[in-house]
Amino acid sequence: MRINLKTKIWLTICSIVLMFSFFTLFYFPQQQGQLLVNNYENEVQNLANTVALGVKIAINEQNFEGVQTAMEFVKDDPRLQFISMLQSDTIWDANHTKFQIKQKIFRTFPEKEHLSPTITSNDSLIVKKAPFATKTMSGAILLGFNTKDIEASKAGIKHTSIVVSCIVLLIAFLIGFWLARTISVPVLALRDAARKVGEGDLNQKIKHIRRDEIGQLEKAFNKMIDDLDKTTNDLSEKNMVLSATNSTLNDTLIELKKTHAQLVQSEKMASLGELTAGIAHEIQNPLNFVNNFSEVSIELIEEVLEERAKDATERDETLEAELLDDISKNLEKINHHGKRADGIVKGMLMHSRTSTGLKEPTAINALCDEYLRLSYHGLRAKDKSFNATIKTDFEPSIKTVNAVSQDVGRVILNLLTNAFYAVNEKKQQHPTGYEPTVSVTTKNIDGMVEIKVTDNGNGIPKKVIDKIFQPFFTTKPTGQGTGLGLSLSYDIITQGHGGELKVETNEGEGTEFTIRLPA
Amino acid sequence: MKRTSKPIQLLSSKSALLNYSFLIGCLFFAIAGKAQQNTLTAIGNVSGAPADMRQSELKAVLMGETQRWKNGKRIIIALMKTNTALGKTTSLKIYDMSGDELNKYWLSLVFQGKAQAPVFFTSVSDLQNFVAQNPGAIGIIDKPMASADVRAVMIDGKPSF
Repeated sequence: MRINLKTKIWLTICSIVLMFSFFTLFYFPQQQGQLLVNNYENEVQNLANTVALGVKIAINEQNFEGVQTAMEFVKDDPRLQFISMLQSDTIWDANHTKFQIKQKIFRTFPEKEHLSPTITSNDSLIVKKAPFATKTMSGAILLGFNTKDIEASKAGIKHTSIVVSCIVLLIAFLIGFWLARTISVPVLALRDAARKVGEGDLNQKIKHIRRDEIGQLEKAFNKMIDDLDKTTNDLSEKNMVLSATNSTLNDTLIELKKTHAQLVQSEKMASLGELTAGIAHEIQNPLNFVNNFSEVSIELIEEVLEERAKDATERDETLEAELLDDISKNLEKINHHGKRADGIVKGMLMHSRTSTGLKEPTAINALCDEYLRLSYHGLRAKDKSFNATIKTDFEPSIKTVNAVSQDVGRVILNLLTNAFYAVNEKKQQHPTGYEPTVSVTTKNIDGMVEIKVTDNGNGIPKKVIDKIFQPFFTTKPTGQGTGLGLSLSYDIITQGHGGELKVETNEGEGTEFTIRLPA
Repeated sequence: MKRTSKPIQLLSSKSALLNYSFLIGCLFFAIAGKAQQNTLTAIGNVSGAPADMRQSELKAVLMGETQRWKNGKRIIIALMKTNTALGKTTSLKIYDMSGDELNKYWLSLVFQGKAQAPVFFTSVSDLQNFVAQNPGAIGIIDKPMASADVRAVMIDGKPSF
C-alpha cells in the first residue's frame, strides 16, 4: 500500500491531535480530578484537625475561642454535610480486667443528621476523622463534606478539555489544509511535471517559484529541465552522428560478411582444388576400367558377330555363349566402375556444396581413409616428386559418430593437407636423410572418438602457436593459403560438434593435431 | 502521782482550752470563708447589661439561652475558670454542674452553634477588666464592685445571691 505525501501529512496531524485529545480528554482531567480530590481531602482533614485541636484546648484550658472560630468557619462552608464529635468511652467488664472502647456520637451539626460512628467516604461524600484526647474526654471529630464542588470542578475541567480539544482539532485541520496546500500541492505539481518531463515534454518549468525549500526544489527542477533540454539536444546531435556511423558500420559489416562468405567459399574452393588432383586420380582409375572393359567388350561383340556370320555348321555356339558371358561380365564391371566414378563425383560435389548442417551417423575410419587418399594423391598429382610414408591405425571398434560428414571431412582434409605441406617443406630443406611421414590414427577414449593427424615436419614456431586458430593467420606464402582453414576447422569441431581440437608441436620435430568428437 | 497529776491536768486543761479555741477559730474562719464563697455577685458592663434582673433571667443568660440584652447588645459571659474556687462555686451554684460537665455543656452549645461560649479567667481582676472593656459583658465574681464601666447587677433586688 502506497501512502502519498498528503496522506502522510494528515496522518501526522491526526496522530498528534489524537494524542493531544487523549491527553486533554482523558489523562489531564483524570489527573486534575485526582489532584482536586486529594487537595479536597487534605482540606477536609485539616479542618477536622483544627476543630479537634480547638476541642482539646476548650476542654483542657476552658478556652473556647479556637473551637468556636473553627466551627464558625466550618459551618459557613457550603460544602459541609455534617460535623460530628465522637466520644470514646472505655467500658470495663464486671471484674475490671477487660475493657472495650465504644464510640458514640456526642454532638452533630446540623442536629438533624443522624450518623453512624463508622460512616466512611463515598462518591458523593468525603469523611475525615481527627482524634483528640483530654483528661476528661477522648474522641474524634468526624467531618463530612459533599463532593458537589469537586464534581462540578471535574465537569468544568472536562468541559474545558472538550473545548480545548475542539479548538486544537480546528487548528489542526487548518494547519493540515495549510500544510497540504503549501507542501503537498506544489510537491504533487512537481511530480506531475516530472512525469511529463519523463514522457518527453520539456515545457514543464515551474513559473511561480516559492521562497521556501520547495521553492529551491522548484528552482532545481527548472535547472534540471534546462540541463535535460541541453543534454537531449546534444544527444540528438550525437545520435544523428552515431546513426550515420552506424549506417556506415552496417554497410561495412554487410561487406565484411560478404567478404567472409567469399573467403569461406575461397577456402572451400582451395580445398576442392587440393582434392581435384586426387579426385581426378580416383576417377581415372574406374574410367580406365570402363575404357578397357568397354574396348574389350567391343572386340568381344565383334567376335560374336563374326561367329554369327559363319554358316550354321561352322558356328561355335559354345564360343558365342562364352563371349556373351564375357561381355556380360565386362558390362557388369563397367557398371561397377561407372558407379564408383559416380560416387567419387558425388562426393566431390558434396564437398563443394554448402553443408546442410544435419548430423548423421558417419563412419569416421572410412572418412579418414578416404580423405587421406584424396589429399595424398592430390599432392602427388601436383608434385610427382613428392613422396611420403603414410601410416594409419584405425581402431576397428569405432563404428559411426553422429556428425556432419562434409564438415568433419573438410577438417581432416585441412589437417592432412597441412601435414603433407609441412613434410614436403622439410623434405625440400633436407633432401637426404629425411623420410616424410604422415600418420592418421583413430581411437575410442572415454566415450570420445579421437582422431590424430601427425607429421614429422618442421613443427610450428612457439611464437605463432597461439595464433594458428585465428582467422586469416597463415604461415604459407601469399596466394597459397587463406588463413581460414584452421580457424574454420576449430569452429566446426568445437562449436558445430561440441568436440575439441588441440595441437602439440615440437619445433623441428613435427606436429600432432588431435580431434575429439563425442561418440 | 496525784501531786504531779494536778499540774498536768491543769496544764492539760489549759492546752485543751487552747486547742478548742484554735478549733473554734478555724471553724469560724472556715464558716466565714465558706459563707464568703457561697455568695456570688453579677457585674455587668454599664453600656449593655441591665442594672437588675431576676434570678431566672440571670440563669437563662448564663446558660446561654438568652444571647442578647433587651437593648440588642450581644451578651458576653465572663466566668472564672473551674479550677479556681470561685469558678467551682459558680459552676455548682449557677449551673449545678462540675467543672467537666460545664465544659461539656458549653462545648455542646458551641459545637452545635447554639451559643457563644463564656470567656474564662483565672483572676477576678482580669474578669473585671474584661467586663469593663466589652459592652454587653456580664461576669460572676464573689463580691460586689462598681467602677465607671462596671456595675453590680442586682439579682432579685439583692447585690449578691
